[in-house]
Amino acid sequence: MEMKRKLYQWRDEGFIDQASIERILAFEKQQPQKKKVPLLLMISLIFLALAIFSFIAANWQLMPDLLKVSLVLLLMWIFYGLGYAAERKQFGWPILFRLIGLAMFAASIIVTAQTFHFSLSNSVLPWAMFLAALGHYFYWRHMSYTLVGFFFGLQVLTSALPAISWVEWGLFIAITLAWFYFSKEALPIVFSWLLLFGSGLMLWSLIDYTSALWPIWTLFTLVFLLILAPQKEPILRPLYLIIGAIQLIVYLGVRGEANLSFIDFSWLEVILLAVVSIGIFGLCFIKFRTISWIAILGTVGLLLVDDTAIGIAIVAQLSALSYLIMAQRQERSLTLGFVYFIIVQFVIYVIYVWERLDMSLFFLIGALLLFILSGIGWWINRKKEGAIT
Amino acid sequence: MKNFLFPFAQTLFVSILVLSFYAISWFGESYVLRAEPYDPFDPFYGEYVMLQYPDLTATDTIEPGTIYFTIKEGPDRFAVIDKIENEPFFGAIRGYSYDNRIVTEQLEQFYVEQGLGPELEDARDLQLTVDVAPWGSIRPKDLEIRNE
Repeated sequence: MEMKRKLYQWRDEGFIDQASIERILAFEKQQPQKKKVPLLLMISLIFLALAIFSFIAANWQLMPDLLKVSLVLLLMWIFYGLGYAAERKQFGWPILFRLIGLAMFAASIIVTAQTFHFSLSNSVLPWAMFLAALGHYFYWRHMSYTLVGFFFGLQVLTSALPAISWVEWGLFIAITLAWFYFSKEALPIVFSWLLLFGSGLMLWSLIDYTSALWPIWTLFTLVFLLILAPQKEPILRPLYLIIGAIQLIVYLGVRGEANLSFIDFSWLEVILLAVVSIGIFGLCFIKFRTISWIAILGTVGLLLVDDTAIGIAIVAQLSALSYLIMAQRQERSLTLGFVYFIIVQFVIYVIYVWERLDMSLFFLIGALLLFILSGIGWWINRKKEGAIT
Repeated sequence: MKNFLFPFAQTLFVSILVLSFYAISWFGESYVLRAEPYDPFDPFYGEYVMLQYPDLTATDTIEPGTIYFTIKEGPDRFAVIDKIENEPFFGAIRGYSYDNRIVTEQLEQFYVEQGLGPELEDARDLQLTVDVAPWGSIRPKDLEIRNE
């Protein structure tokens, strides 16, 4: 009515003619009408839902076992039904309804466990949710399911501690590998890669031999994923470099600060790692040149022998500097390189200078270092801009 | 109806889970274990009682760690250990032994009605009725104050 009144007002003012009004009204008549749910009905529905929930909660202990489980399953079906209807009739958010449906599935397992006094300190719930979330992702291809899948994938790994079985480990890797292989978007590729890396760390729990080098072995093994799916290399490139850099910093920090007597040390392993790293370097240099940097980790095994960690510190410094120089020459982003460089400096300070240096001096030197680095960055940028103009 | 494949599969999973607990009672035998509470309830997990069992003890010949055992009804109607070994055998309940005490995952905790936990913990002398399936699965059924 408001629109009609306005249109006649515009006609009387001479902005539009009668024919235009009729065309506009005919067009508006064909548009789908907004369906309004009466406010009173909505309020009554909310109160009805509250009443149902409080009735269930009040009688929960008295309910037969099967009824408790069935009620949660019924809620799950209602939300999947709502998801389906929302998609068909185009109202609400189908994804949200299905996510709540998935949460209801988790709730049904928890209720079953409580009803039958079944312990949940095992991996039944994480496994069920991990598989269900992956199924949802492959069917509906929505990113929110990958988040759920990643969360419960991590839960599978952590809940299986301290003793995961070989079968469970193998199954987890097979499923995560399939997730990685059949995913096309960046998020699921990154998540599945991280879970595969996490399963490599489970070797600490699987094998009696406590190697300090499982993270490096895992990272080297994951290079073969790129051969399996070379088109995913641009997405994964920063991940290999970041995880490699974090590993080097952690090894530097741990070796510099802690006594590693609890770790099994084997000359055979460290030499093997060094030899394998040469192979990894060759492979990366030919096929995936930008991630060749991770081969540096092959030296860590040999350098761990020295308890002053001087060797690792030198390798970390040299790698940081040479990465920056190379990135600058190839005109690639320097941000990650700078962050890595600065962290390496801080770790070296903490290891070697912390106890000998006054705190204020430590911060002063840190600040000076940052100041110099930002000055260099500013100068490089200025030079670049000058060259362009 | 492909859209409902997931809720269907998920319902099937929960149904199998539920069915496996009922199957323990259908095919298994019922025992009563002497039980004692040893831990107050955890507010995050709802109200449950942590239990230990004075009659379930390992013999000196058994090495600490993973153990496999079966139970039988003792002379005073409470269940005692029938057979215990370090190696798995058919029908055995899997558990862990430390300091001659035996713990097993499904017998460690029992969810109770709201408000009943402190009463059971104060009583200390409890009895737990369990169904044990021929394949070694356990279904705890009832926790009561013991009258001897």
